[in-house]
Amino acid sequence: MDIVSVTRVRRLLDEHGEDFFTRMLVPSELADCRTSTGLDVLSLCGRIAAKEAAFKTLRVRNRFLPWLDIVVQRADGGWPLVDLRGAAGRMAAASGIAQITVSISHDVDYAVAVAAPILTEHRNS
Amino acid sequence: MTSPIADGIDQVKAWIVKRHPDREDIAGDLDLIENRLIDSLSFVEFVFLLEQVSGRSIDMDTLEVDSIRTLDAIERHFFAARVS
Repeated sequence: MDIVSVTRVRRLLDEHGEDFFTRMLVPSELADCRTSTGLDVLSLCGRIAAKEAAFKTLRVRNRFLPWLDIVVQRADGGWPLVDLRGAAGRMAAASGIAQITVSISHDVDYAVAVAAPILTEHRNS
Repeated sequence: MTSPIADGIDQVKAWIVKRHPDREDIAGDLDLIENRLIDSLSFVEFVFLLEQVSGRSIDMDTLEVDSIRTLDAIERHFFAARVS
C-alpha cells in the first residue's frame, strides 16, 4: 500500500516541469495522465502510488524503486494493470512473483494504491 | 574560501534540511533512508539535485543504495576530488 500527497507532486511539477516525470513514468503512462490542459496531478499521484505499492510487494532489500520498469497501464476496462519489465521483472522472479495486481483511489489531496502479488504456482507446490 | 567539494555536500545537506525543518543539522554518518529523510518520491528529486550539483549524470538503475545512504557516502561517491 502507498499514499502520495498531491501537494508534493504539484511542487515537483511546478519546480521542475513535466520533463521531471519522465524519470518516473514511461511515455504511455504520462499519456494516460494527460488532459487537454496538461498533466493531471491526481492521476500522476495515483500512478506513482501504484508503482510504490507494487514495488513493496517485491520485498527486495537495498534496491531503489526501478521507476521505469514497473509500468502501470490503464486497461480497456479502465482498471490499472502492472507490467514488470527489466530489473523489476528479475526482482519479481527472484521473489517467486508472477504478477502484481493493483488498485488506485484518489480524493482531493491524496492518492492511495493497494497492490498484491500473485505468486508463481511452482513456488507453492 | 570554501572548496567545491565542501560546497557541493553543503548544498545537498541544505536541500535535505529545507525539506525537514525539524532538523537543524544532519550528521555525516546519519542513515538518510532509515531516518526517512529520503523516500522513494524524494529520491528521484534527490538524484536530480545530485546531478546538478556534482555535474555528473547518474544512472538510477545502477545506483547503489549505500552510495547515498549517508552524507559521508555521498561526499565520497559524488564529490571526492577527481584527478584530471
